[in-house]
Amino acid sequence: MMSDLFIAYRPLIDLFLLHSGFALGQYIVLRAGVFSVANAGLTAIGAYLSAWLTLRAGVHPALSVIAGTAAGTLVALLLSWPLARLRGVYQAIATLAFVQVVLSLNVYSERFTGGAMGMNGIPKVVSTGTLFISLLVTLYIIWAISRTRLGRAFDAIRQDEMVAASLGASVRYYQSVAFAISGAIAGYFGAMEAFNTYTIEPQRFGFDFLVAALTYVVFGGRRSIWGPVVGAAVLIALPELARPLAEYRTLVYGLIMIVVMAHLPRGVFDTFVEYLHRRRMARMDRAAIAKGDNA
Amino acid sequence: MILQQILNGLIVGGVYALFAIGFTLVFGIHQILNLAHGAVFMTGAFVALYSVQAGWPLWLGFLLAMLASGLLSVLIEVGAFRKLRKSGFAELEFGAIITSIGASLAIMTIAQKISNTQIMRFPFETMPVVIYEFFGLRVSALQLVMAACAAVLVVILTWYLYRTAFGRQVRAVAGNERAATLVGVNPNFVFFQTFFMSGALAGAAGVLVGLAFNSIHFVMGEPYLLRGFVVVILGGLGSIPGALLAGLVLGMIQTMTVAFLPSGLTDTIIFSLLFIILLIRPHGLLGKPEAGAMRGR
Repeated sequence: MMSDLFIAYRPLIDLFLLHSGFALGQYIVLRAGVFSVANAGLTAIGAYLSAWLTLRAGVHPALSVIAGTAAGTLVALLLSWPLARLRGVYQAIATLAFVQVVLSLNVYSERFTGGAMGMNGIPKVVSTGTLFISLLVTLYIIWAISRTRLGRAFDAIRQDEMVAASLGASVRYYQSVAFAISGAIAGYFGAMEAFNTYTIEPQRFGFDFLVAALTYVVFGGRRSIWGPVVGAAVLIALPELARPLAEYRTLVYGLIMIVVMAHLPRGVFDTFVEYLHRRRMARMDRAAIAKGDNA
Repeated sequence: MILQQILNGLIVGGVYALFAIGFTLVFGIHQILNLAHGAVFMTGAFVALYSVQAGWPLWLGFLLAMLASGLLSVLIEVGAFRKLRKSGFAELEFGAIITSIGASLAIMTIAQKISNTQIMRFPFETMPVVIYEFFGLRVSALQLVMAACAAVLVVILTWYLYRTAFGRQVRAVAGNERAATLVGVNPNFVFFQTFFMSGALAGAAGVLVGLAFNSIHFVMGEPYLLRGFVVVILGGLGSIPGALLAGLVLGMIQTMTVAFLPSGLTDTIIFSLLFIILLIRPHGLLGKPEAGAMRGR
């Protein structure tokens, strides 16, 4: 029974695991106060390079995945250097331009990328299990980072760049590191996507991708590492649950995005965590009053 | 040949400017990135098309389109941004992106349902094909109408913002919403005005694009939204003269690259240019370090 359910929903589970990975790549730059949307382009680079290496050069998929991850990291590092000059929305637009350049080059250079049709017949070597482990490892790495000096520097920079800089945190250095980590995650999950879905085409890593990744993070919550995962889970499950609505599905989906964001602007998961926190504080206060040591 | 291309580019650029000015107006005054602007643009084209199909004259359809798009834009403000505005700047900055995407999805779904996912055209001869020649340059009647509409609308908008009491209120809210409220400006009314103007301009651009390329469909807004980003950033976020200039420049660059370079590379060139310009001038060509050039003159 359980396994039937698993098989029926397997494509959906794969989709959720992949998109959680994309969301985490987006999450880590936002966490460090960089409003970059470059992940769509970096994911495309990881996906295309690894698919090309295996299909055209006969490289073993595992090595291709490593190469895709490395390429994502490297390009992200290169990007972070000029982007350090920009702030806020300007970073968002500059990285949007990067995504569009990658996309149009992928369409244009038909000889390497297969043009608008993309690449087909990529061996499916990445299973649900691999994706699941990949997501767990990524979550663990980000969690471990959060607890170090690096994670605290990210948080300080996001909250107030000036104060962080005055306390001796090099904004440029830490944001480049965040960029590199994000590029590695994007490149890796790009390669995973290529080896999980048989085909890749340029449009898949365009504006819609970028919007989806950003939406998962903002919808789920930008602070906790579970926010992006919860966001991806809810937003991927919603259209499935709304299937009886048929063609009005996206209408309802859009309206839900508006209503939820308007009432929970910090994201579903972060608001939930805050609620639990407040309740615990209230309970502790009450306990303190009962014991009479607040006098 | 080059002059002809420059002329064509200027006319396309005028339409880009119309689209982008509405976008930059909302950003400059309220610091809201309204990603539903492309859907409003599409709605304008739809309303004009259905009006013409109902047998009404084109000018009436054009006005109805502007009215409907303006009201739709106000509806987006009330539905998607009003509640969020009260939750603080960081929440608004990110939250508005999500709610406006939600609004955009909802509007596009309705448009897709109405149009049955078809690509539609204005009936033949809605806009008679007449070509004039000036000094060896060919200009169609449609192009003249496009240029005239763009010019007139921009002049009206500038007059409204800088020469009327309403415009002064709008600029007061851009400068400091709290202070403006204290001296008796009703911020909700200002939001109503800016969103209405922004939407009406987008709707006008939608009709003109629909006429020029004769292809109207529910996703037609997306490429213009992306181009709109380019124009708005090149001109400096919030700067209306900047958006106008950048719109014209982008129109020319686009027609030039299409005419003289491999066609598949248009997007590569435009977006690489955007990237490079941002690196040299991090606040756009005419932008000031504090986004929102609406504050001064």
